Amino acid sequence: MAEADALAGELFRREAGKIAAWLARLLGPSRLDLIEDAVQDAFAAALARWPDDGVPARPSGWLATAARNRALDRLKREARNAPFDDDAAWRLGFADPEETGKLDDTLALMFVACHPALEREEQTMLVLKTVCGFGVKEIARAYLSTEEAVTQRLVRAKRKIKGLGLAFAIPEGPELAARLPALIAAIYLLFNSGYTAGEGEALLRRELCAEALRLAGLLTEHCATATGEAHALAALIAFHHARAGARTNGEGALILLADQDREAWDRTLIARGFAHLEAAMAAPALTPLHLEAAIAGTHAAAPSFEATDWRMLAHYYAALEELKPTPVVRLNAAVAFAQAEGPAAGLARLDALAGARKLARYALYHAARGSLLQKLGRGAEAAEAFTAALACPITEPERAHLERERAACTAARGQVNSTAEISMSIVSPFPESGKTSAS
Amino acid sequence: MPNFTLLLYRLPASARPSSPDEFAARMKTYMAWTDRIRAEGRYKGGQKLMDDAGKILTPAGGRVSITDGPYAESKELLGGFYIISAKDYDDACQVAETSPHLSYGGRIEVRQIHEL
Repeated sequence: MAEADALAGELFRREAGKIAAWLARLLGPSRLDLIEDAVQDAFAAALARWPDDGVPARPSGWLATAARNRALDRLKREARNAPFDDDAAWRLGFADPEETGKLDDTLALMFVACHPALEREEQTMLVLKTVCGFGVKEIARAYLSTEEAVTQRLVRAKRKIKGLGLAFAIPEGPELAARLPALIAAIYLLFNSGYTAGEGEALLRRELCAEALRLAGLLTEHCATATGEAHALAALIAFHHARAGARTNGEGALILLADQDREAWDRTLIARGFAHLEAAMAAPALTPLHLEAAIAGTHAAAPSFEATDWRMLAHYYAALEELKPTPVVRLNAAVAFAQAEGPAAGLARLDALAGARKLARYALYHAARGSLLQKLGRGAEAAEAFTAALACPITEPERAHLERERAACTAARGQVNSTAEISMSIVSPFPESGKTSAS
Repeated sequence: MPNFTLLLYRLPASARPSSPDEFAARMKTYMAWTDRIRAEGRYKGGQKLMDDAGKILTPAGGRVSITDGPYAESKELLGGFYIISAKDYDDACQVAETSPHLSYGGRIEVRQIHEL
């Protein structure tokens, strides 16, 4: 019984998205509600029947068949308020439930969920719900929101889609080029929320990141969507996700890049990242994602924190600053520059950013300053900087780390040590992660 | 094993389902039938044709004449088809005979596909 439950639970997420995409092709994207309900019904039926009947020989086919049957029931119910859509019913009738999981269907569903009429967060929430099969509860946890609020947003998103009367297809021509960036942004955001989700959410975080990796991989598998930017995204996520196991200790506390056990990094995934990076670099256009991937790749390739190619990183950051001169990118560029050229040069760059409003309440900015000041033997100023960092929104492990840093400044005033390097690595190598981690 | 196509002609107007409930109930019997032949490994494909009468192309004195399908009655119209594998016509007919289409009054034509 427990076995059937566990199998159904594990299957749910994997199959729900495939079945939803298949049904969306048959019934049209304006019926996402009906489709979700039908999928839900099918899984409820599995949970009710499998414990007694045993798990069917082809569980995914069974689930798709059940969802199809439920969809027909719901289509019939729809006929109370509207003319019966017998075309849709026939499509259901002729569909092969063994044909779920087609790449075209999944991508078409992603294009629906990432339609520009939807807000960014609505897009990623809808991707999580329909394409990834996440529950409202998990989405609420990922977004530090309530189930009611997430439900509301999903309802609104689906209503918008219904109103658009979209075709269920991967866009073509100029429309494809115009709409692909939204998919890339949604996957990036999905990964980002997984990368920076709250403490104690280690499992959810890994699942979000794994989903982002899978979706980015899907983009690179289809000729319509395998652009250089899509490959860069897949590379970036692969490099970061390869370190997932080394980023936290047994208690779930954050381990900084400098202190991570590099033996625990997933070498297969890193190799996959480099394959994507190579494909990305073969494309004509250089995007910020290319540089972010190259930066993450440089970290992934380094045998140790000290032996990291900081000059190369400073070079990549300089190029990234050109394309995307956001305060957070400039902060990271300054930190890389400090590693390459020395703390004084880095500090000068950080101080030049002092006016940036986004950084005033950004702990990593103050922490980076503190570390460089400490490295330069200016302990009192360093302690002040850490105090400023502690006044910013931070997570508990960050607080503990910053307090240790500040204590070190006052205890060993004037002593030049290597904490700068450690604090340096608190600066996320994921350049835009400031959005969620600092707020 | 050779393949056969089962051509399903549309039901006469009088035999159509009268409500969405009846339609859906019938659809379930078609689905169950398709699921069964799929489970038996016989199912090779199937499509439903649109409900309109289609077009007829006829050569006429060196030109081509295109007209709407001249069908007086819906039961003369092809509604859809399945492709199944079967040993021979007997076997294929045995499969076709179990189709719910016949019980609703629809005609089925069985034709062997010429394997090239």
